[in-house]
Amino acid sequence: MQLNIESVKTPDRERLHSLLIGATDQIAGTGANILEPRLRWDGQPILLADANLHPVLISFEPEHSEVALLNGLRGIEQLHNALPWINQVYESLQQQQQPPKLVVIAKEFPPGATAVLGLCPGLSLYRYHLLTVNGEIALWLEHLELTPATLPAQESAPQKDAAALPQQASNDILPPLSEAEAAYFQQL
Amino acid sequence: MVSQLNPAWQRKSAASSRLAEISARFPDATQAATQGKNDVCRAIPFLLDTPEQHWITDELSHILTERGHPCTLCPPGEAHRIEHSSGEVQTGTTSAGNEYCLLAVPCPVTLLKSGIDHVVLLVPASLDGIRTAYQRIKLFSQHGTPEIGIVLVGPRDQHAAWRYFRKLAVATLRYLDVPLLNLGFLPEQIGPGQDAEASHRHNFLARISERLLHSGFYSTLTITRP
Repeated sequence: MQLNIESVKTPDRERLHSLLIGATDQIAGTGANILEPRLRWDGQPILLADANLHPVLISFEPEHSEVALLNGLRGIEQLHNALPWINQVYESLQQQQQPPKLVVIAKEFPPGATAVLGLCPGLSLYRYHLLTVNGEIALWLEHLELTPATLPAQESAPQKDAAALPQQASNDILPPLSEAEAAYFQQL
Repeated sequence: MVSQLNPAWQRKSAASSRLAEISARFPDATQAATQGKNDVCRAIPFLLDTPEQHWITDELSHILTERGHPCTLCPPGEAHRIEHSSGEVQTGTTSAGNEYCLLAVPCPVTLLKSGIDHVVLLVPASLDGIRTAYQRIKLFSQHGTPEIGIVLVGPRDQHAAWRYFRKLAVATLRYLDVPLLNLGFLPEQIGPGQDAEASHRHNFLARISERLLHSGFYSTLTITRP
């Protein structure tokens, strides 16, 4: 059988959304369940629970990868902050306390995007390609890996849990202690 | 001999200047009324040290409901503003709604944005834990200090809980002029999912809920639901 493969022009957001819904197993593994969009998130991402009931947020944009990445980061922070409520809304999560994972899907990522992967173990980037195979529309998802240039930096840097990032960020904005305060908190 | 409480153990009275600071954070009091459905409820924000601590708010929510005070958990993004009446924050028994709403928030900035005037800090019983709690209170004090209640999490016993609380409360009073309210503690033996300790855990959480109710420790918030 002869395969006739052609590329397709950039789809609109709804089209891409429906194609991604059909590819959740590929993105989040077999057994992933789509969580009904009962909550409004910035960028209208797709929310899944993987086979381990781990929440997975898929942020996507047909064209603008930066928007997808930023919306995804914002969404993951909202998800992190509202996890108790999320557990109430989505009983299928069964009160899991797992930190959410973020998957960002776009047509092309800007230079340096893979370096972000080295800093966020809970983040996955996929580049999508839309093709027609013998007249049928097909979605090809290409998983972006860490480049060799970013690997050594990652190995030398301390590992950070994605779930700890918002917490770390929240501690970063805390005011410093004065000398007197620091001395006071040296011991009980 | 007349016993006198150290000011560190007393609740700070709601000063009108502080209330004015809080009011100023809400530019348009009519805005929320134009969006979706508004519910006025008694909100108790909890600032978690780690997201894993949310089992505490989950169980407190159940206990408050059991005790005849309907209570739900609410995502912080929904709490838009404090509902004022005649320029005064409604606390105690003067609130419009009877429903309680617990907000479990891991990030202090989220609470600053919400403009709440009461907050419960869940503080790990360790030197690092109370140091971080102190820094969080310092951050709040730079933006109009809310009423702050403390729950110590994980001390060995009541005596240890008292030592940690005293260390923190003396510092906030000495350096920030912020008094703290001691709402109780959850000893190290109890935690989520330990069925054998369920009644023990329930007792400690019930004590905390009693103190919250008794002291009228809540903000009256308008919750906008889509």
